[in-house]
Amino acid sequence: MRITNMLPDVQYQIQQSQQALATATQQLSTGLRVNQPSDDPSAYSNMVISLGISANVDTYTSNISSVLPQMQTADSAISSMVTSLNTAITLGTQGANGTNSTANTQALASQVEGLLTNVVAQGNTSFQGVFIFGGTESTTPPFVPASTTYNSSNGTVALPLASTSGLTNGSVTTVSDATTGDTFTFKATAGDTVASLITAISNAVSAGTLSSGVTAGINANGQLSIGTNNPADGIVVSTNDATLGSMSAAPGTAVPNAYAYVGNGNSNSVQVGESMSVPTNLPGNQLLFSGANVIGSLNQLITALQSGNTSQVGTATTAISAALNYVSQQRVPLDNTISQLNAQDSTLSQETLNLTTQQTALVGISTADAATNLSQATLENGAVLGAAAKALPETLLQYLQ
Amino acid sequence: MGSLSSSLSIAVQALNAASGALQATNNNIANANTPGYTREVPILQEVAPTTDGNLSVGGGVAIEAYQSVRDELVQTQIQNETSAQSGANAQLTSMQQIQPTFTTSTQDIGTDISALFSSISSLSTNPSSPSSRQAVLTAGQNLATAFNTASNTLTSQQVGLNTQVTSDVSQINQLTQQIAALNPQIAALKGTESNGGTLEDQQNQLILQLSAITNVSVTQGKDGVTLSTGSGTPLVMGTQSFTLQTTTASNGMTDVLDQNGTDITKTITSGDLGGTIQTRDTTIPTLLTQLDTLANQFGAAFNTAQSTGTDLNGATGTAFFKFPPTVPPAAAPVAGSAGSITLALTSPSQIAASSDGTAGSNGNLVNFSALQTATLPAGQTPGDAYANLVYQVGSLTSNANSESTATTASLLQLNDQLNSVSGVSIDQESANLIMYQTAYEAAARVVTTIQSMFTVTMAMGTAAAD
Repeated sequence: MRITNMLPDVQYQIQQSQQALATATQQLSTGLRVNQPSDDPSAYSNMVISLGISANVDTYTSNISSVLPQMQTADSAISSMVTSLNTAITLGTQGANGTNSTANTQALASQVEGLLTNVVAQGNTSFQGVFIFGGTESTTPPFVPASTTYNSSNGTVALPLASTSGLTNGSVTTVSDATTGDTFTFKATAGDTVASLITAISNAVSAGTLSSGVTAGINANGQLSIGTNNPADGIVVSTNDATLGSMSAAPGTAVPNAYAYVGNGNSNSVQVGESMSVPTNLPGNQLLFSGANVIGSLNQLITALQSGNTSQVGTATTAISAALNYVSQQRVPLDNTISQLNAQDSTLSQETLNLTTQQTALVGISTADAATNLSQATLENGAVLGAAAKALPETLLQYLQ
Repeated sequence: MGSLSSSLSIAVQALNAASGALQATNNNIANANTPGYTREVPILQEVAPTTDGNLSVGGGVAIEAYQSVRDELVQTQIQNETSAQSGANAQLTSMQQIQPTFTTSTQDIGTDISALFSSISSLSTNPSSPSSRQAVLTAGQNLATAFNTASNTLTSQQVGLNTQVTSDVSQINQLTQQIAALNPQIAALKGTESNGGTLEDQQNQLILQLSAITNVSVTQGKDGVTLSTGSGTPLVMGTQSFTLQTTTASNGMTDVLDQNGTDITKTITSGDLGGTIQTRDTTIPTLLTQLDTLANQFGAAFNTAQSTGTDLNGATGTAFFKFPPTVPPAAAPVAGSAGSITLALTSPSQIAASSDGTAGSNGNLVNFSALQTATLPAGQTPGDAYANLVYQVGSLTSNANSESTATTASLLQLNDQLNSVSGVSIDQESANLIMYQTAYEAAARVVTTIQSMFTVTMAMGTAAAD
């Protein structure tokens, strides 16, 4: 083939070798073989998916860091409860032997009161503003001192509430019972009246949600009054109904050592793995009421010690033993979850390493390979430039005289 | 018997022939680097011999014509390959501007989808936390912004390409006019001694420029070149050029019409115009549809998850995203979703995390998290749908780049082929210079010799008279 001008071919070869040189330089400086989707569309899109998985792994690790301290706090609180219950059993055993003086039994009763206060305080433990034993009602303390009577703020002698007084559609009134540990909730619908609420409370008693003796009605002052006729029992009532106003404990009706649970029985779960979620809270009613009435049994011991009835002291101490067993059992799933989280943390660390390795394989390049490529490209570029410098200036004219 | 006069005549013809050949060589050397120049060779023809009795003597040499050395077949291949290269470059340029939007960064859609799900998962550890709730809102807005940016990138490209269509059509019309004007000039010079090669070179360069804009079909006839588009729309016939027109379609895009008003937009498949139309009307709309579908279905799924829970105030969750001007809960049309999507929530307390109406419940957040692995109506999870979009963009860019590279290499080879026939070799012309110079010197020597002989002859007559 007749060759007229080598310059276009030489320029093309130089451009190609310089492009290869630029690519090799970029790979060495970035450590990446694939810097944009067009470099290797398949590898890049797979890396996008892998990065999404990495983000999830990081989130799961962060979630573990968030929930683990809360669960450890819960475990610590339950441990303190167990210690208090063990001490209460010791005191109860001591109080049941019949050799104590009245002063002694009173002193024992006072000590058990202190233990009850500690148990309640542990039940009201908060972690970063969250009351961890309140179920999902976690913004206020779940264990509240109970009273025998609660009255509405609205209603007077002159302007009394009536059974026909209409309630606000959507309003919520709750009655928490210190004996059953349950909470009765009444959500008013259109057309509901005070009578509707009174009837509902009666039905709740029949169902066992509220203990027998809990009643509701309009008192002599024209207020809605909800209360119990059992002096050893106590309730806590709240409402956001505009007709009723607010509900407050009647003065002088506080029941000593009685606490109602105003939280709920719901729990949250947090995802800590692709297919792994863990419960993050233990509802207080499950812990202190469901298996055994822990607070009630402590209260029962206090009353027995105060009365000096050794038989009742013995019965109450036995009840506390049952409560202790139950509370101890509640720690087991909690401790298991804490162990799971620690193990999962290690697993996630390994998964992070695996994903990093995978991403490097997809789009990365080793320093050795990149350096080799750069050396090769530099060599080739030099050869092309050298050849061009040698060949281009040569024409016949140079040799003609 | 030959006379001195006829010998002198032959020598003078030789001088003229050598001189003319030198001129052609000189012209070749001068235009060695002129784009599109076709080398010329002098066609030397022996002059008819003269007869004297039984003797026949050659009549010398004359330049019959100057011939441009062309290869029409390779020229046509170059035009076709130029069209292909320009088409590929038009697509490559657009895709290279689109690609960065789909390259992983702190603000691309994929990163923001992950960040949104991460923020929701973090919120589940403390669902009433104001800072965690704000983080979800921020992540949601970032994702909406990422969708908006991607959509704007694609639609802006379309607008730019649309303008390019008008510009290309204008250029086509200018070039076809110039090409048509050259036809009669070239036809007038054919068959004469004058060389029409210069005008033909000029015309070929114009046709090459036209090939870069759109694919053309070239045929030679007695009236000059006839040009049409690849699908047969006439552009040049004899002295006449046929003007293309543009019009704005109902979708705002510029369509191309032939001289009769027929829409030929879809028939233009090569050249810069073909590549521009392909990218504007097929490539970008396909990507936009995928993007809009992802935004629309992802947003709708999020809104559904919101509606199944309650917010911090115990109210049923309202829409998380909205697509103005559509007002939630009405379903927004898919088209334009990526460009319009924005956060509908105005307060962190509106996030419907709760499943039981309490502020401390995270029970509804599982419905949000489930969307990460749930199949959207289009058939893929959000992450997979986005990864597929990234693959499409990468693949389109890579293919355009490969096509551009391949056509560049092919053009280089074809131009080498053409140059081997039509190009000027300085070495060859240098050798021709020597050859024609020697011939001129020899012819001049003959003239000198004949002059001496004339002088001797004249002297013979004078001596006899003395």
